Amino acid sequence: MSHPTDDELVDLALGEPVDASRSAHVEECAVCSASVEQLRRTLRLTSGPLAYADWQAPDDAVWARVTAEIDAQPDAPVGAGPAPATMGGSDAGPDAGPAPTPPETSLLHDERPSGTDAPERPDRPDPSDRPASPTGPAATAGTAYAPEPVPADATVTPITAGAARATRRRAAAWGAALVAASLVVGLLAGRAIWSPNESGSVSQVALKTLDTRQREGQASVVRAGDGLDLNVVTDRPLDAGDGYLEVWLINADGKRMVSVGVLRPGETGTFPISQALIDQGYVVVDISKEQFDDKPAHSGDSLLRGKLPA
Amino acid sequence: MHVHDDPDVESAELAVRLVGGDREALAEMYRRWSPLVHTIALRALGTREDAEDVVQQVFVAAWRGRATLRPDRGSPAAWLVGIAKHRVADVRTQRYRAHRNLQALASEVVTEPTTTHDSDWAERLLLVHELERMGDPRATVLRMAFIEDRTHDDIARMLQMPLGTVKSHVRRGLLELRDRLQEVERVASD
Repeated sequence: MSHPTDDELVDLALGEPVDASRSAHVEECAVCSASVEQLRRTLRLTSGPLAYADWQAPDDAVWARVTAEIDAQPDAPVGAGPAPATMGGSDAGPDAGPAPTPPETSLLHDERPSGTDAPERPDRPDPSDRPASPTGPAATAGTAYAPEPVPADATVTPITAGAARATRRRAAAWGAALVAASLVVGLLAGRAIWSPNESGSVSQVALKTLDTRQREGQASVVRAGDGLDLNVVTDRPLDAGDGYLEVWLINADGKRMVSVGVLRPGETGTFPISQALIDQGYVVVDISKEQFDDKPAHSGDSLLRGKLPA
Repeated sequence: MHVHDDPDVESAELAVRLVGGDREALAEMYRRWSPLVHTIALRALGTREDAEDVVQQVFVAAWRGRATLRPDRGSPAAWLVGIAKHRVADVRTQRYRAHRNLQALASEVVTEPTTTHDSDWAERLLLVHELERMGDPRATVLRMAFIEDRTHDDIARMLQMPLGTVKSHVRRGLLELRDRLQEVERVASD
């Protein structure tokens, strides 16, 4: 005897009257009874106490973190290079996409390089678990309008503006000590590794739009006295709308960023930065469009971006 | 952006574009579904910071694992929710370990994770989302049938709709919602 139709299974799940021979079949048939159970479960979950959700969007800066993390570690291999999307039909049927290839990367496990954010995080005092900011609210407060230099030992504005990393506070003492230690190491290593060429330029990168990868500017790190300058120039003035342009250094871990200053459209911006920032992984140069909204965090609206070469 | 009347077609097209490596498709998916993922994570984990970390991880994983997206399985929302469940579970495991270690220091034994949870939050929220997204009159019919628990006769009378039409909306709708849950399970059980 053939299986009941989907409609008949739904009626069974709903407790609607169904032909007796059909329900007898379902009782005997594992596939059909599993199917009815699935439908009942769907009903239970739909009719639960949660009829209306109180949707809460993440902070705008999270999108910038997503793109920064992707840009910082460009494509981990994804299968055997999926074919270009079939854009032609609006009815993307089962065959519209390339056959799903088992990806070499798994969704199930953190793909970030070990050390940036490891699943075993709580087991050890991870440097990235340092408290929000040893320099305290000052670092946060300064981000929006202040193009002041970032002092060499500045710890960086956490991306979640002001949000206390309360659950990780226990690592605070450890973290602070590690930060101090890593700064020293970073400074020493940085001096040794980063030697400028004749022109004084330490490194440079093209700044491209996030979507079309159009080159529209350039950022370069140059020696300036004892420290470093970040020079940012765009090929044509960026449109700040009724807001302003802000230049950021985003950490390659995609979790932290620091504002280095405000860029006036059409002008070259020079911002004092430090070797320590570079050494700590703040290597993604990002220009964002910001509103005058008293929110010091990144708006999430990135116009151009480029990752400084190591 | 193409404009379609049917949100499912639009979603499937988004899925195809993502699989093909279109970054703008990821941005569009983020615009549409980051509140869903964030709300799930927030309900499960309780802090915005952890929830936003999960959102970040989910969309980075969605990009890197885009070859696992199956456009034929309908809306990518369920796929994202499946990934989110993994990430939430990871955070819980981390917390549990941290908790256990702290407890071990205090020479105590822990038998339970730190957060109590209803493991169906993610599915419930996805279904609410799907109901909200679903066009009318089906959404209204399903709401009346499943949430307000009205009889089909009642619904037909109130909406001035033939009984057969009500039944057909209920059947199609329930099957559709069931398919979403199966997709979450497929991804979450990987």
